[in-house]
Amino acid sequence: MIALGAIVAAGLVTALGVRDAVALDLVFTLLLYAVLGQSWNWISGYAGNISFGHAIFFGCGAYASALMVTHGLSPWLAIPAGAVAAAALAIVTGFPTLALRGHYFSIATIAVAAIVDALVRTQPWLGRATGFELPIASGWAALQFADKGPYIVLALVLFAAVQIATIALERSRLGYYLRALRANHAAAAAVGIDERSWKLLAFAWSAVIASCAGVLYAQYTLFVDPPSTIALGVSIDIALIGVVGGIGTLWGPAVGALVYVVLAKGVALELGGTGKGYDLVIYGAIICVIAALRPHGIVGTIVDGLRRRRGALELGAAAATGGAA
Amino acid sequence: MAVRCRGERADLADAGVEALTTFAQLLVGGLLTGLVFALVAVGLTLVYGVMDVVNFAHGEFLMLAMYATLGLALLGLGPLLGLPLAVIAMFLFGIIVYRVFVRRLLAGPPEATVFGTFGLLVLMQGLAQAVFSSDFLSVPNPPFAGTIRFAGLAVSQASVVEGCGALILTALLFAFVEYTETGRAMRAVAEDRIAATLMGIDVQRINGLAFGIGAACVGAAGALLMLSYPVYPTAGVPFALTAFVVVALGGFGSISGALVAALLVGMLEVFGGFYLSPELKLVPVYLAYLVVVLVRPQGLLGRR
Repeated sequence: MIALGAIVAAGLVTALGVRDAVALDLVFTLLLYAVLGQSWNWISGYAGNISFGHAIFFGCGAYASALMVTHGLSPWLAIPAGAVAAAALAIVTGFPTLALRGHYFSIATIAVAAIVDALVRTQPWLGRATGFELPIASGWAALQFADKGPYIVLALVLFAAVQIATIALERSRLGYYLRALRANHAAAAAVGIDERSWKLLAFAWSAVIASCAGVLYAQYTLFVDPPSTIALGVSIDIALIGVVGGIGTLWGPAVGALVYVVLAKGVALELGGTGKGYDLVIYGAIICVIAALRPHGIVGTIVDGLRRRRGALELGAAAATGGAA
Repeated sequence: MAVRCRGERADLADAGVEALTTFAQLLVGGLLTGLVFALVAVGLTLVYGVMDVVNFAHGEFLMLAMYATLGLALLGLGPLLGLPLAVIAMFLFGIIVYRVFVRRLLAGPPEATVFGTFGLLVLMQGLAQAVFSSDFLSVPNPPFAGTIRFAGLAVSQASVVEGCGALILTALLFAFVEYTETGRAMRAVAEDRIAATLMGIDVQRINGLAFGIGAACVGAAGALLMLSYPVYPTAGVPFALTAFVVVALGGFGSISGALVAALLVGMLEVFGGFYLSPELKLVPVYLAYLVVVLVRPQGLLGRR
């Protein structure tokens, strides 16, 4: 909570004080990816169903925004519309697939996302492969701003809301059930936890979060097409963020997003131009090292380390009192 | 009146012949495509069967093999002459990857193998982009550039060579796993790791060997594919995605299942591309995966 407050305060100062467009763009991207990573974390981290197709829910929000604006409606309506679409898509695709485990589920998410991607590219009302350019407007009613400041504020609000929701998840019945199912689904089922309905609930919420990020993204870039919103590459980026920071941890996605943004933009600035793949080399190496040596990610490793130290201290204290007695 | 009738009937007959020719053409195309899918998929299914790992970087192994083949071709060893070298190089690469990396993943929690091999995918794609750039590269003046015409069908020579090569190599792998001592040991490890250890089988050695052979399969597939496909950093992705479907469809771990499923998937893709639209050609393939994992999770020929 204290960390969250500090981040929000720092973000507000940035939004109001900084005028450097590049820096503001970095902050916005960081917050957006942190939200997307957390959304992925709900189903893939806490529930343990690793998704490689999460971008379709991000796409729901982005496309809802594009459709609303191009049909002359308020983009604010895209928030509920995208959320409903994303939750419905999550329930329809999750109902059959969430019972699958391990790689069966992961490959199923790739299959579902590829089908959605192919369908969008052939539907004229969804803009086919060319997508949508949103008409330029300004002001809170149009959810568009000439300045980057308000976007940062909106992204901060979304990020804070999602972090608080995740804290609530960790302490709620749903959160305990998901972790129980991940740890041992047979034991969880034996004590009466219905895997499908609880995972569906988590999947739907996770989709709603991603959809909100999608609306914000569309209003920020004013351009929506399949490669930038629903393609496999976007899904892989989201999973990357979740895995690097540490799956199933509160701050993992934020740390993952920080690593992602610093690497992607930093490498691009240092080595000149994107598309050279150096950033991919570094993420790939990080994930390989984490997977081989520290399967709980950066935050997971820190948490483990703290716990071990605390445990050692307690052991030490117990030994001291034991010795005294 | 009668004359017009006969004319209509003749038109109908013509249309029928044309539809049949199209159908036969698609059938042959699907078969040849499917055979190459099979060669990519058998490596994946072998690794899965022996050590329960789905190698998400399998497509990147294929991409590496394609670059290796291109390199050999530029040195004067055309794709078919370079094939044995590509196979040996990929075999050694697979063993090294297993020894250095995959072995450690197996010691961790089950999801470590999913995102560990996913990390390898990202790393290899990044390296390829950094070293070779994103350009599409092809073997200059590839052999078998002509077309074979037979009974109204037209098939490119390259795809016939690719299909036949893939069939021979898949058969060789099947024979190896079925009839050699090492193959038997592999099946034993696949069946029950602990029992195999008790029988004196070195599981680590068998795992490494299986990973090496899996990589060698894509080594051969990569060399064959360079006859007609260009290589670029994400060249392996579409083949790997299809291979996941093939492996699930045939039953994870089943080599003969993978062959049958690959032919089926090749047909689905070719027919889907023709009768639906080229953009939707993979939709039937993915739907088939979803239906199979939900209705018959052990796959068409897999055992539970």
